[in-house]
Amino acid sequence: MTQRKFGIARVHGRSMEPTLHEGDRLLVLYGARPRCGRLAVVRLPNDAAGIPRPLAVKRLTRRDPEGGDGWWVERDNPREGLDSWTVGAIPAAGIRARVLLRVPDRFHFPVPARLR
Amino acid sequence: MTAPGMFVGVPKNANRRDHQMFKRLFAAPVQVSAHCDLPCGIYDPAQAKIEAESVKACMVKAAASGDADFKARALSIKEERSDLVKHHLWVLWTDYFKPPHFEKYPQLNTLFNEATKLAGAGGTKSSWDVGVADQLLAKIDEIAVVFWETKKAA
Repeated sequence: MTQRKFGIARVHGRSMEPTLHEGDRLLVLYGARPRCGRLAVVRLPNDAAGIPRPLAVKRLTRRDPEGGDGWWVERDNPREGLDSWTVGAIPAAGIRARVLLRVPDRFHFPVPARLR
Repeated sequence: MTAPGMFVGVPKNANRRDHQMFKRLFAAPVQVSAHCDLPCGIYDPAQAKIEAESVKACMVKAAASGDADFKARALSIKEERSDLVKHHLWVLWTDYFKPPHFEKYPQLNTLFNEATKLAGAGGTKSSWDVGVADQLLAKIDEIAVVFWETKKAA
């Protein structure tokens, strides 16, 4: 298993609204075991032209319905974005980190000012 | 704007030992996309196509699954995204295309009418026939051809 590491991820885009908004910062744990129903940082498969898609944040809604070791991911915003209903299940290796929490706006990560 | 997946920043004045500790516990900050494939607010028939492809995926995946919950989810996603196909097509029809386009391409109104019908209650919204989804995708492709011709002319 990947070494566990904390990380900060900054949200770009609207596909996870109303849960997450543009510019939100998330505390994530790389290498953490995926949990059904929780948000995760995932690597979406390459597009039809073979161009890699960016790292994304999605909700894990179920295991791969075809019985693989992967996960079915969905967008929270029903109106916008990509998810497994377009790109299919994400292989287990594509689930990079578990989202632990959204960093409240008043904290400036990676290091709060008072700890510098 | 920082490119997706790129480095965003590290603490500037941590001393070396703290910094090693920090690196052991923390990965470099990244940007995660919660985005579609396309920039927002830009006209492009690809938006309708992406949703139409997921409508087709709903049909294919539901047919292959024996799980009642998954089938129910596929049904609701299929209806929702059929409506989204209509929405994206309507935006093109009413906001992008201008009267001169309809003069030059007299088939446009009929194409939009047929495409939105294929995504409607008589089309992919109620049907589980992958053939209907393929007809819808083909119709969107026809609209896309006209769209890109008008873009080139502009």
